Amino acid sequence: MFNYTIRRSLLAVPTLLLISLIIFLLLDLAPSDPTANLPLTIPPEVREKIRQSLGLGDPIYIRYILWCKQFFINEPLNILEHIFGWQIGGDRLRVLSWQTRSPVVDLIVQRLPQTLWVVGLSYVLGIVIAVPIGVISAYRQYSWFDQIGTFISMVGFSVPTFFTGVLLIVIFSVWLGWFPSIYDTTHQVTDWSSFLVQVKQMIMPVSVLALFNAAQISRYMRASMLDNLNQDYVRTARAKGVRERIVVLVHVLRNSLIPVTTVIALGVPQVFGGAIITEQVFKVNGLGQLLIIAIQGGDVPVVQTLTFIFALLIVLFNLIADVLYGVLDPRIRYD
Amino acid sequence: MAELRQNPLVEIEGLKVHFPIHAGVFRRHIGDVKAVDDVSLQIYEGETLGLVGESGCGKSTVGRAVIRLYELTDGHIKIDGRDISHAGADELRPMRPAMQMIFQDPQASLNPRMTVSAIIGEPLDEHQSLSPSERIARIYELMDQVGLNRSFANRYPHEFSGGQRQRIGIARALALNPKFIVCDEPIAALDVSIQAQVVNLLEELQKKFGLTYLFISHDLSMIRHIADRVAVMYLGKIVELAPRDDLYADPAHPYTQALLSAVPEPDPEHEAKRQHIILEGDVPSPSNPPQGCNFCTRCPKAMDICHEIEPSFHAVGDGRYAACHLLEDR
Amino acid sequence: MKIRTLTLSAVAAMAIAPSAHAERGSSGHVNIIYWQAPSTLNPYLSGGTKELESSSLVLEPLARYNEKGAMVPWLAESVPTVENGGVSADLTTITWKLKPGLKWSDDTPVTSADVVFSWKYCTHPEGGCAQNEKYNDVKSVEALDDLTVKVTFGLSKPFPYGPFVGAQSPILQAKQFADCLGAKAPECTEANFGPIGTGPFTVKEFRPNDVISFEANQNYRDPAKPAFATATLKGGGEATAAARSVLETGEFDYAWNMQLAPDVIKAMEAKGKGKVVAAFGTLVERIMINFTNPAPGLGAERATAKHPHPILSDITVRKALSMAIDRKLLVEIGYGSAGRPTCNVLPAPEIYKSSANNACLVQDVEGAKKLLEETGWKAGADGVRAKDGMRLSLLYQTSTNAVRQDFQALIKQWWKEIGVEIELRNIDASVFFGSDPGSPDTFQKFFADVEMYANNFDGTDPEAYMSNWSCKQAPRPETQWQGNNMPRYCSKEYDGLVAEMATTGDLNERARLAKAMNDKLMQDYAILPLVDRGRVSAHSNTLGGVVLNTWDSELWNVADWFRKK
Repeated sequence: MFNYTIRRSLLAVPTLLLISLIIFLLLDLAPSDPTANLPLTIPPEVREKIRQSLGLGDPIYIRYILWCKQFFINEPLNILEHIFGWQIGGDRLRVLSWQTRSPVVDLIVQRLPQTLWVVGLSYVLGIVIAVPIGVISAYRQYSWFDQIGTFISMVGFSVPTFFTGVLLIVIFSVWLGWFPSIYDTTHQVTDWSSFLVQVKQMIMPVSVLALFNAAQISRYMRASMLDNLNQDYVRTARAKGVRERIVVLVHVLRNSLIPVTTVIALGVPQVFGGAIITEQVFKVNGLGQLLIIAIQGGDVPVVQTLTFIFALLIVLFNLIADVLYGVLDPRIRYD
Repeated sequence: MAELRQNPLVEIEGLKVHFPIHAGVFRRHIGDVKAVDDVSLQIYEGETLGLVGESGCGKSTVGRAVIRLYELTDGHIKIDGRDISHAGADELRPMRPAMQMIFQDPQASLNPRMTVSAIIGEPLDEHQSLSPSERIARIYELMDQVGLNRSFANRYPHEFSGGQRQRIGIARALALNPKFIVCDEPIAALDVSIQAQVVNLLEELQKKFGLTYLFISHDLSMIRHIADRVAVMYLGKIVELAPRDDLYADPAHPYTQALLSAVPEPDPEHEAKRQHIILEGDVPSPSNPPQGCNFCTRCPKAMDICHEIEPSFHAVGDGRYAACHLLEDR
Repeated sequence: MKIRTLTLSAVAAMAIAPSAHAERGSSGHVNIIYWQAPSTLNPYLSGGTKELESSSLVLEPLARYNEKGAMVPWLAESVPTVENGGVSADLTTITWKLKPGLKWSDDTPVTSADVVFSWKYCTHPEGGCAQNEKYNDVKSVEALDDLTVKVTFGLSKPFPYGPFVGAQSPILQAKQFADCLGAKAPECTEANFGPIGTGPFTVKEFRPNDVISFEANQNYRDPAKPAFATATLKGGGEATAAARSVLETGEFDYAWNMQLAPDVIKAMEAKGKGKVVAAFGTLVERIMINFTNPAPGLGAERATAKHPHPILSDITVRKALSMAIDRKLLVEIGYGSAGRPTCNVLPAPEIYKSSANNACLVQDVEGAKKLLEETGWKAGADGVRAKDGMRLSLLYQTSTNAVRQDFQALIKQWWKEIGVEIELRNIDASVFFGSDPGSPDTFQKFFADVEMYANNFDGTDPEAYMSNWSCKQAPRPETQWQGNNMPRYCSKEYDGLVAEMATTGDLNERARLAKAMNDKLMQDYAILPLVDRGRVSAHSNTLGGVVLNTWDSELWNVADWFRKK
C-alpha cells in the first residue's frame, strides 16, 4: 500500500504539470481582458499601460515559467518561512492577483475559513442526513418513506440552489426576519451569544447546500444498500439468527459504506472549490466567490492558481479514495 | 440406509411462496411469481432428502422458505414439532440454532469484511454466552471439524479457495449444533475434485452429529450419491417423491424419466443404445403457469385431461408419491 | 488591582473627554453594501468605481465635485482660478494651497510633498496607474512650501482641474508609499489594502473582494465628525440582494447603484424600511452608428475609413432609425425613475445641455417611413426596404445584459416597422469592453452596423469627452484598434471645434463650443442617444445626511452621515 501510494504520487507530478500548462493555455486563449471591467472613462493608452504592468506584454512561455516558479518554488518557501519562522531570504515574487494586486495564496487563506465552515459543514451535515435516509429507503424499498425520500432527493438534486437560497431568504429574512440575508465574514465567535449569531447566519446557506449534498449521497447510499441487501451473506447472517438490527447495521451498512465512502472522498475537493452560487446568494464570499469574481475580472493569476489547486485536490482525493477503498475492503490490495 | 426412520423432523404442508409483481407508474400489484406453489413434504430425522429440478423450478425457494428466510404466502412448516410458519423475527431467533443453511456461492455468502473467526463466532455471540477463551476454543474446534487450518482464523474469505470457503460456511452452520441443515446447491460452484471432498465432509458430519439434510441440487448423480429420498420439482410443484433407489431404477413421472434419461452413462456402449427423452420447448413462466398439469406443455405423454385438471400429488405405492394423471389408476 | 482599574478608567476618561462635547462616534455603526466587491483600496491601481468609492472614505483629493457638479475645495483652502490668481493667465500653471493643520490618520502632518508624491506615484512609467489620464500634459508638480503646490502643464490647459480633483486622483501619504513606486506598486499589499488617509475613516480590516471594516479617523479635521464610530462596507452578490438588505430586511443602511427593473424597486420600497434616491450625471445609453463598412470580405480593411458604410453613410437612413425609436417607452421599461429620455450625448451639467435636438423625444414612425420612401428606399416583397439592390439589413450588437436585450428587442421591432431588417447579437461584457486587439468582438473593432452601450465622463468638464469623436480618435489597425471614436465619425468642422475648445478658457465660450459639438453629432445622427441614465441608490430611513452625487464618489460626504433618532 505504501509503495502504491508513493508510486501514484510520483505519477501525479507530470499529470499536474500538464494540467497546469493546459489551464494556462486555455486561460490565455480565452478572450478576456483584465481592464475590460474598468469604466470607459479610462482611455485605451492607460489600459495598455496597466496590461504591461501586469506582465501581459511578455511572451506566453515566459509567463508560464514565471507562474510555475512563483507557484512551485516561491510560494512553498514562503509557507515554510511562515510556519517555521525561518528566514530563507531572497527577493521572491509571489503569485499576485491582478485585481487586488495582492498574493493569491493570501487571498485563498483568507477565504478558506468561511468556505470550510459553510460548505464543509453542509457537506458533513449532508452526509449525516443522507446515510440514515439511504439506509431506511433501501431497507423499506418502495415504502412511503422511500417514496418521500426519493421525491425530496429529486427536489434537492434538481432545484437549483439559487432558487432554494432566494426562497429561504424571502421566507426567513424578509417575511419572518429570523436570519440575516447577508453573511458577515468578519464576525468573530468569542462567547455564547456571538456563537448564536454565527449559527444564525450559517443556518440558511448550510441547509441549502446540505439538502443538495444529502440528495446526492442518499441516492448512492440507497443504491449501495440495495446491492448488498440481496447478497447471500445477508441471508447467511439472518440464517445465523443474528438480530435484524445487527444484520442491517453491521453486515449490510458496513459493506454498503465502502463505495459511498469513496464517493464522499471524491466530493471533498468540491468543498474547497466552494459553492459558487450559494456563496453568491448569501454573500458568504468564500473560495467560490473569489473564483467567480476573478473569472469576471479576467484575473488570470487567481483563476490559474485556484483551478490548479482544485486539480491538485482532485488528484489527491482520488488517491485518498483509492487508498481508503483498500483499507476498508480487505479484498482489495495494492502491491 | 434403507431403514425407515418414521420420525418426521420437518413437516411441510401446502407451502406456497409467491412474489408479487409491481408495474406501472404507481407500482400496482399486477400478478405473482408463483415460485413455490403448494408443496408438501416430510423430512425424517437423520435422513438426507434430495431436492432436484431445473434452474428456476423453485427448489432454492423451498429451501429458504423452510427455515423462514422468506415469508410464506400460505401453508405450514413445522420443525421438530414447532410450527414456525408465521413466527415473528423475535420468535424465530431462538429457534435459529436448530436450523441452518449452507449456501451455493461460498464467496457471496460470507461477509467480505469479516474474518473467519468473526464469521464462525458471530452465531456464538448471538445465541450463547461464552467467555472469550471458550469462544475461541469453540471456533478452533469447528475449524478442526471441517478440516480448516486453525492458523487461518484471522484471514478474510477472499483469501481462501472455493472449497475452503465452503468449509467456512459449513463450520459457521455447525456452530450452534443444528439438527437440520438446508444445503442449497453447496457444491455447484466448486471444482469437481473439490465437490467430492465437500460432500464427503457433509456425510461425515451427518454421521457424527446425526444431522438432517435438505440437499438441493440439480446434479442427479450427486443426489444419487448422498440422498436417502429424492423429491423432483417442476415449476413450483413437487412432481415425484420416492426413495432414492426406486426413483433411479424406475422413475414414475414423465418429467423424472426425462431428467434421468439426460444423465449420461459412464459406459459408452450402453450410452449409445440408450434412448434419450428430449423435452421440447421452454419452462413456462412461473407467473403464468399453464392450466391443468404444470408439465403438460412439454410432456411427451400429455393427454387431454392434463391440459384441464391439475393432477393431485398422491401415493403410488411403497413410500412413493407422484403427481400425474397417467399414474392415477395404477 | 483597584489602583490599576482606577488608572485605566482615568485614561479612558481622558480619551473620551474631547468627544464628550463633540459628537464623533455618537451614531455607532453604519452598514454599507456594494454588490460589486472592492478588490483594493488604492484607487490608482484599479480604475473601478467600487474601488474609487470605497477608498474615498479614507483618501481625499484637494477638491471635489458636489452633488450639483460644482467644484468645492476639500483638502485645499480654495479652488484656484484665473480670477483669484491660482491659475496663471496663460493657463499653463495652477497653484494649490493646502488647508493648514491637516493631519494624516497616523497623526503626521499633510504636506505639499505628499501631493508631489501622488503625482510621481501615478505617472511612474512602470506603475500601470489606472488614473494616468488625470495627469495628462503635466510637466511638473513642485512643492513651493509645506502647504503650496504648483502644477505646470506642458501646454495651455483651459481646464486645469485634472490632477488632485475628484475621487480619481486623491492624495497618498508619501511616507507609506515611498517604496511602492512603479513595478513595486503591487507588492505593497499592506499599503494598498490599508492606505493611510485624511478622510473621516481609517481602515481596520480589508478583505479583498469581500468586506472592509472602518473606524472613525481620530485625527479627522472636523472634531465633531464623523458621527459614526465604525463602518462596514460589504461587497458581493447582486443588485437585488443589496436592495433587499436595505429596503426589505433593514440589515444594511446604504446600497449602491441598484440597476434593477423599476417595478422591482418600487415593490421593495413599499416595505417602508428605506428610501430610493436617484441623481443624474452624464451617463448616456446610446446607439453608435458605424460609418465604415464592417463586411468580413474586406479583410484587414474591414471597418476602416477606406470603405464607407454602404447603407449608413446615407444620413436619411440614420435619421429614420432615430425617428423610429420611442425613448420614453425605453425609459419606462428599462430604468423607471433611474432614467430619462435624452436627445443629447452631452446631457449635463446644465450649462452644456443643448435643447436643439428635442424633437427626437417623440417617436415618429410614419415620418421615418416617409423619409425613407422619399429618398428611394422602397419596400420589397418581404417588407424590407432596398435601394440600388442594397437591402436595409443591419447587425445590431451590444453587451450581454437583461435591460440591453430588452432594448434590442424593442428597437428591432420599431425598425422592422419602418422596413429595416435587424440581426441581433450580444457579447459578454468582459469580451465586448475588453480591448484585446485579437478579439473580433470588441466594441472598438465594431464589426457590426450599429452597437449600443453607455458612456460618460469623469468630473464636469466635457472637453476630453467631446474630443472622442475627432477623426484621429477612430480605432483602426494602425492604433491596434484603440481609440474612442467608435462610429469613425470624421468631420473637419467638428475637428475644428475640438481644436478651438482646447485653447478656450472662458467657461461660457466653452459651453457654447460643447453644445455646438453635441448638436453637430446629433444632427449628423452619428450617435443616437437613448436614455440619460441616473444613479439609483437606497438608504434606510434611519440614515441621515445622504446626498447622492454622481459627479464624484457617492460616499463623498460620508463624514456628514448620521443616525436619525
